[in-house]
Amino acid sequence: MTAPSELLSRRERVMLFLQREVSRFTSFFWIPATTFTMRYLLGYRIQNATRLRRRFREMVRESDGPVLICANHLTMVDSALVAWALGGTWWSVFNYRWVPWNLPETRNFASGRISQLAIWLTKCMPISRGGRREDVSKVLRHVQHLLTRGDTALIFAEGGRSRTGRVQVDTVAHGMGRIASSVAGCRALCVYLRGDRQRTWSALPVIGDSFYVDIDMFQPTSEQKGMRRSRDYARQIAGRLARMEEKYFARRQRRS
Amino acid sequence: MTREEIFTKVVEIVRPFAKDKDALAEAKLETNILDDLKVNSARLVDVILEFEDEFDIEVEDEDADSVNTIGDAVDLIAAKVG
Repeated sequence: MTAPSELLSRRERVMLFLQREVSRFTSFFWIPATTFTMRYLLGYRIQNATRLRRRFREMVRESDGPVLICANHLTMVDSALVAWALGGTWWSVFNYRWVPWNLPETRNFASGRISQLAIWLTKCMPISRGGRREDVSKVLRHVQHLLTRGDTALIFAEGGRSRTGRVQVDTVAHGMGRIASSVAGCRALCVYLRGDRQRTWSALPVIGDSFYVDIDMFQPTSEQKGMRRSRDYARQIAGRLARMEEKYFARRQRRS
Repeated sequence: MTREEIFTKVVEIVRPFAKDKDALAEAKLETNILDDLKVNSARLVDVILEFEDEFDIEVEDEDADSVNTIGDAVDLIAAKVG
């Protein structure tokens, strides 16, 4: 396992610190603006939000190690929905380390100057999925560094949005397992989020949709080494999300 | 094992994962596994794990970061098998 100080150069650490602090300072504006947009302009609702947030706060209070948030992925605003669902507005502003860093796809979110600035301010590090391995690896090292420093990050189990609308354990993102296996004591906080009117993947959820959210935290383990260990971790996390999805559909079937 | 033998085995391992079979037929050391052969990036891990099995080596994630082309794979394997 690499020591935190060896993961990034001094310049990279300074740039990351700068991004984090500017982002924290401006969060008094952008977090309420984002949640206002989701709540009042798009009409989204988080089911049992109070109970969910209480459970999340208990989990993070009891956790004394790094936490990687791993979620299923169906729409382009899932990261904002997950952050809102878990932290709400003002708790997130005042507990900024628990607002997760995000890894949006460069092609979708970081193609222009304004969008680059916007994602820089909102705790994002763009990543090119399928891009040069060195570039992907650099972003993953940033995430490893952040986790060891007490921040949290959100990574989608399948990398991109699920083309089948269901969690695909076979196409799990290796980077997720790589991060979880390379950070000592890292726990995976699995988040299953789905709008009741979300049939499959899409750009945005349906306006006025109501979101079911389930969370579960565990520490993956493996007897394997090297890349097999990372893959094992990734599969365990994706497997956990797949079981949470089964629970969601069983519940929905009982209700219909 | 010579580099030519490693090259031949690497191409055979990549074959089931390559979507562009024409590019694979003309594969060279400079051929990019993702861009030219159209191997899905998520499956590249499986390709490298097949290298581990075939050549009886162990590859760390950091080692795999350097694998972009067939030649990179050959270099990595050659270094591991000695």
